[in-house]
Amino acid sequence: MRQSYRIIPIYTADVSGVCSALYELGGMTVMHDPSGCNSTYNTHDEIRWYDQDSLIYISGLTEIDAIMGNDQKFLDDIKEAARELHPKFIALAGSPIPYMNGTDFPALAQVLEEETGIPAFAVPTNGMHDYVYGAGIALEEIAKRFTGEKTGRIQARTVNLLGVTPLDFGPVSHVEVLKENLKACGWKVLSTWAMGDEPDAFLQAGEAEVNLVVSSVGLRAAKVLEEKFGTPYVVGTPIGSYTERIAKALEEKEQISYRKDRMQGRKDRKVTLIGEPVIMESLAAGIEEKYDCRVEVLCPLEETDGLLADGDRWVHGEEEMEEALKAAEIIVADPLYKPICPKNCEFYELPHIAFSGRIYLKKLPVLGKLV
Amino acid sequence: MKKIAVYGKGGIGKSTTVSNLAVALAEKGYKVMQIGCDPKADSTIQLRHGKEIPTVLEMFQQKKQNLKLEDMVTVGYAGVVCVEAGGPTPGLGCAGRGIITALEKLEETGAYETYQPDIVLYDVLGDVVCGGFSMPMRKGYADQVFIITSGENMAIHAGANIAMAVENFKNRGYASLGGIILNKREVPREEEKVQELAGDFHTQIIGRLDRSELVMEAEEAGKVLLEYAPDSQMAEEYRKLADQILAVCGEEKPC
Repeated sequence: MRQSYRIIPIYTADVSGVCSALYELGGMTVMHDPSGCNSTYNTHDEIRWYDQDSLIYISGLTEIDAIMGNDQKFLDDIKEAARELHPKFIALAGSPIPYMNGTDFPALAQVLEEETGIPAFAVPTNGMHDYVYGAGIALEEIAKRFTGEKTGRIQARTVNLLGVTPLDFGPVSHVEVLKENLKACGWKVLSTWAMGDEPDAFLQAGEAEVNLVVSSVGLRAAKVLEEKFGTPYVVGTPIGSYTERIAKALEEKEQISYRKDRMQGRKDRKVTLIGEPVIMESLAAGIEEKYDCRVEVLCPLEETDGLLADGDRWVHGEEEMEEALKAAEIIVADPLYKPICPKNCEFYELPHIAFSGRIYLKKLPVLGKLV
Repeated sequence: MKKIAVYGKGGIGKSTTVSNLAVALAEKGYKVMQIGCDPKADSTIQLRHGKEIPTVLEMFQQKKQNLKLEDMVTVGYAGVVCVEAGGPTPGLGCAGRGIITALEKLEETGAYETYQPDIVLYDVLGDVVCGGFSMPMRKGYADQVFIITSGENMAIHAGANIAMAVENFKNRGYASLGGIILNKREVPREEEKVQELAGDFHTQIIGRLDRSELVMEAEEAGKVLLEYAPDSQMAEEYRKLADQILAVCGEEKPC
């Protein structure tokens, strides 16, 4: 099966994922690239770009600097900007050219940290992975380095929401709905990784009773926090009425509750969902519970290990997706999928910024209110 | 686990020296892994008696995400674990990037955990011509770099470039310079010139290997000298070099 995309777009790339995850945290994120990565990011992927300041930089890598391996210019530019702006951290994200050159970003981050005294880290992006990978590793680094020491204090019935970026959830008002859903079930959100919070909210993340991974972006951070603070994690998105089930999973520390909840073995009329695994699986479980209607999830993103229910699957590339959709009767997906869906299917629009950017921003659903 | 990278000008005798060193270390009871970082893929050829082995990059190209460690690792003479990074077709692609990918693939497939070598030897092509060839000296790879040179001017020049790269990368947490191995070619003022190189980079000549016809005979026979002529004077020189490298690395005797 070919992996080319003729009709549908590809998902937001890893570099944008890093920028999106770190956008509100007071750090400085530097994409090492001639300039293409930043225009894609601020034009298509970042809905906060015009309303909210952030220290997102592009290095402006030139042909001759790439050929000559002029890492010093990259370092000097960052140091100069950092001296002026005093970021809380410096994050380096690579793109295809430095990837091919073999630029050693972890070593450059070490040099920056030693020379500026500002914590610095690298995210091994190369523009060839999807946003979940980039954003996931960025939040993993935050979990490792910016969450303070273990105090042993646990605040009962509190959670951190892990894996929250506009790429999956839209504006912060939509994220508030997730928090309200949990609040209605007796759970307070301590920190949201990573939007809508004070940057220091991370410092108390280790005091949460449990972490809730609301999208696959948060999974790596959840594993670090489990190791660092012993905090268990639950995977699932508090969508509408399904929030009650999530709340029960939080109480019982049931790691991936939706996998148990999904209908098995029924061959009746089905709904097909396409998108990010955790949100779509939670939505599928909510639909099945509410409408007694079998749902299948097709996931086109890279990181699905252990996240999909039986019968659901990872689909790679446009041709494979087109094939997988042939028998679908009801499809719920981003509108840009419509051209590869069967003509006689019922299609319901579920815009996803990580797929169609800002095009359908005004029609963006509030995920927390869907079922 | 000690990781050692050996650099030097092309044709100076790196692979021959590293392979004999690997066997000398294996004789002392160490589990040794030798990784050839050269598109020619001939670093371990004497350890495998000329038998062809698939390279890491060939296997990755064929098997993509299904790449398995056993596809690219062969156990050679004296139990030395042999790996060849491989590289692109001459004149195409990017050999330096190939070295990075090959070493990453070895790590991803658990080469070090599975074979648990006491000593890993990276035998690296030529001098540090681009970022890819600095990979074996990066953090997480070699702890120490040894440079092989003769008294020939070109070999000394290449050695100086390598030492300079190690020096430049000091603040990146890369490997440090362990010393220089003098592989004699019987040129005028050989010892003096190599001593001068060592002095310039505040290091020492940690081992000396005489020029010996036996080394070439062993190569013709497709064997390492320690297998071809284990009782020879030259074999003793390799064993002595192994002791000197262990001393520099602070390695204790294996259990």
